[in-house]
Amino acid sequence: RQSIQQTYDLTRYLEHQLHSLAATYLSYLGPPFNEPDFDPPRLIGAEAVPSATVDFQEWHSLNDNARLAANYQAYSHLLCYLSTMDGKSPVAMPTLRHSLAHFRASLQGLLGSIAGIMASLGYQLPPTPTDGTPPLRSQFLRKMDDFWLLKELQTWLWRSAKDFNRLRKRVPPSAVMLHLESRGF
Amino acid sequence: VQQFPDTESHIHYAQLGTDVTLQCGSVDRDAAVTWTANSTDLDASHLNGSRLVLRNVDLSHSGQYSCYEGSSWHLKYRVNLKVGTPPKEPALMCRSNNYPSGFYCSWHMPIPTYIPDTFNITVMHDSKEIVCDMDVSLKNRCYIRYLHLFSSKKYKVTLTVTNALGSSSTSISFDEFAIVKPDPPENVVAKPIPNNARRLLVTWQYPSSWPDPDSFPLKFFLRYRPLIIDQWQHVELSDGTTHIITDAYAGKEYIIQVAAKDNEIGTWSDWSVAVHATPWTEEPKHLTTEAQGAETTTASTSAFVVPTTTSIGNSEEQGS
Repeated sequence: RQSIQQTYDLTRYLEHQLHSLAATYLSYLGPPFNEPDFDPPRLIGAEAVPSATVDFQEWHSLNDNARLAANYQAYSHLLCYLSTMDGKSPVAMPTLRHSLAHFRASLQGLLGSIAGIMASLGYQLPPTPTDGTPPLRSQFLRKMDDFWLLKELQTWLWRSAKDFNRLRKRVPPSAVMLHLESRGF
Repeated sequence: VQQFPDTESHIHYAQLGTDVTLQCGSVDRDAAVTWTANSTDLDASHLNGSRLVLRNVDLSHSGQYSCYEGSSWHLKYRVNLKVGTPPKEPALMCRSNNYPSGFYCSWHMPIPTYIPDTFNITVMHDSKEIVCDMDVSLKNRCYIRYLHLFSSKKYKVTLTVTNALGSSSTSISFDEFAIVKPDPPENVVAKPIPNNARRLLVTWQYPSSWPDPDSFPLKFFLRYRPLIIDQWQHVELSDGTTHIITDAYAGKEYIIQVAAKDNEIGTWSDWSVAVHATPWTEEPKHLTTEAQGAETTTASTSAFVVPTTTSIGNSEEQGS
């Protein structure tokens, strides 16, 4: 049974994993990307990554379906993007590529977990992005996109933790169970 | 220094450690005048014609200087000399103790300037300037309300301090989540648990400044130690606002504090106010009222009535 608590815990685990992965990746990207105060403008490439930023009242009043759908769509996009990360280039460190692969697998798990909750609550899954290949861009701009991807990932994981905090309290486990039984599980 | 009619008081700012020359308004340079400082005559050694020269001024030179025409003692000019320093870099801090409502920034001057300073603060986020509302009650503090949450873009706050002798500024930039730091938990209470010589029940409340505990639950950190030992014991609690200490030393007075943190982001609050408690202790049998009551019934058959006494054990502990 896909409990919201387990999804919350997975979010926290991913956040912890990303913390070290991001530090390694940014130092691999090198200056200025690994400087603490680096705060570049967000470029076109990164616009494809859904931003976690949301109006406070709007976020507060999201219903459970919308809240889960927003998470599902975000991680679908982020996973697509993550697979194009620069780690594939020959100079990439093997340990970094391993960490990236491990993180992608965990993130895939989170996506599956969210899908499981949505299905168990009778919600439709939102459309997932087509696996489009990113436009050809200079190495610096690709690094900029990677920088923003990591930033957005970190922010989404923070937001998801808060989303699942709210869902934990609003969606009693029995609701999940009832729906499963009514669907013959 | 703007020019006013001579008899009006002027203000003159001077930097600590410099030489200052005060002119007697529009009086001729060589006219005979007398200068007073806070109504005390200054001797002629300070004069250069009608001008007053003060060397290597310090704070004690601050004050009111008046210039009188030689013989007539007619007041010709008055100036308020304020000795100070140009501002050094101010200390600026921003913090969100009521996330997700907003955050406040506060500042101070690590090195005083001794003269009036004015502050100007700008908050930039996502290439837009956000208004920082000055706090009506607290000096050197302003407040920013979050319109959006979960931003991956940094906030940049720049503070500029200016006074008559110069200006200085400082900037900090931070992520929304990095500055989340709740206020300490409130109403911390610790009580003994009857018939449990090694337990203490501790309860507390969310800081009243924390607006949305449901969506943004806090976790807590409790530390406790007997007064006679310096080493704290710690326990982290992710749910609820009560805890039972089960390993207290019997009969020993404990000091207890609690801190709070958002479950996922930011840093720990400061420690709460410390509370004290001593675990429950058995009433010494012979001195308790019941024991004494039992003796009285047996004593009534004898000539004396035993007076009621409080248990020493208790009175000694409360007196500490």
